[in-house]
Amino acid sequence: MAGIMRNTLTAVLVRGEWLQGTFETEPYEAAWAGEALFFVRLMGVRGTALAGTAVECKVQLSPDGIRWVDEGTVLRVDAQPEALVYARVGHFGGWLRLVGHVPAGLEVQPVVTLSLKA
Amino acid sequence: MSSAHPTQADARLSRYDPMSRILYFDDFDDGINGWTTLVGNYEGSIETMTHSYARHTQPMLSQITHWDAGTHGAFDGTYALKIATRPVPGERNVAIKRVTFRKAARIRVETYFAFKPEANELRLSDRDVRSFGLLFDLQDGRERVMPHLRYLNALDGQRMNRWQYKRRSLPLRAIGGHNETVTHDHLSPQDWEDIPGAGQLLCYNEIPTKINWHYLRMDFDLQAMRWIDFQCNDQIFDATGVESIRMPAMPNLSCMLNLAFFCEPDTAKRAFLYLDSVVLSGEF
Repeated sequence: MAGIMRNTLTAVLVRGEWLQGTFETEPYEAAWAGEALFFVRLMGVRGTALAGTAVECKVQLSPDGIRWVDEGTVLRVDAQPEALVYARVGHFGGWLRLVGHVPAGLEVQPVVTLSLKA
Repeated sequence: MSSAHPTQADARLSRYDPMSRILYFDDFDDGINGWTTLVGNYEGSIETMTHSYARHTQPMLSQITHWDAGTHGAFDGTYALKIATRPVPGERNVAIKRVTFRKAARIRVETYFAFKPEANELRLSDRDVRSFGLLFDLQDGRERVMPHLRYLNALDGQRMNRWQYKRRSLPLRAIGGHNETVTHDHLSPQDWEDIPGAGQLLCYNEIPTKINWHYLRMDFDLQAMRWIDFQCNDQIFDATGVESIRMPAMPNLSCMLNLAFFCEPDTAKRAFLYLDSVVLSGEF
């Protein structure tokens, strides 16, 4: 990982599958990176969302890729098509993932993107 | 002037046996090197993608850290390419690098790899990974040719320990309404066949958190579009009679030289294929 240019990599953790209830992204290894941006975009929403209804996503860390603990950052994305939010995360150790909660009666089609930079 | 092979000047390359021209030498300590997820074809809507492709996820740069022993690291340096499946039996994941060829020559892929299941049980777990392997996706002026090679480690809980290939794929399926895009699930569970005489025991090493790197090489002739042979550690297997999936050339794949690695779990536990580095070389 040497060199003058900073290494970077963008991983798509969720690619437009329809989700409801609670969902977890697959674990993603990020030990080489010093900073991370999570983006959550909703491609589609099914069901009736009242104004202000949001999908809530929590950033989680892990010592081993198996056991998870909340990092403290929360993304709230309005339950509207093409809604887009982001969160900055740093000092996260070896793994990152998101745990999301979709309000009852709704189904959403997210694209979850993790942008990492050394 | 020394007659030493140029690989001897580089300790990282000296453990490989590349042909005369190196097309790429990807050491994952340097970054992702063009290895990405194999996204399935779609048109109009992402939902037109074949389900098995829609489940593929991005490869990652792994330090190979375990709960009991800490960081393992790669063969050299810290990072390896990690292809991780979801914890669903038979649900594969694939990483791919896409280039094209300038001469239809003999080519050779080499890698140092390790495979393990997720270490979430205090058990031997040596039958939790179903298989891992590689494939080329190639096209010349006449045909699209896809040699597939996999090590079948276990199937439905039984140890299998053998190398397999494919010569048949599921039928092409049209996507969208413009008659421009098709797909076929060439990595589906069907139609794998044993390569005669190609049984082999690998070094699993007792518990899920011990990693032993293995050497894998495969030679293929782009001129004849035929297998030559392959090697894993100390065993060399003749492959001159091994077939590939073949179909008529497609409109926009000229000189395609794609290389992909994949793995799949046999149980509801993530399977991990680690690649320390990959060398693709050719004789031209």
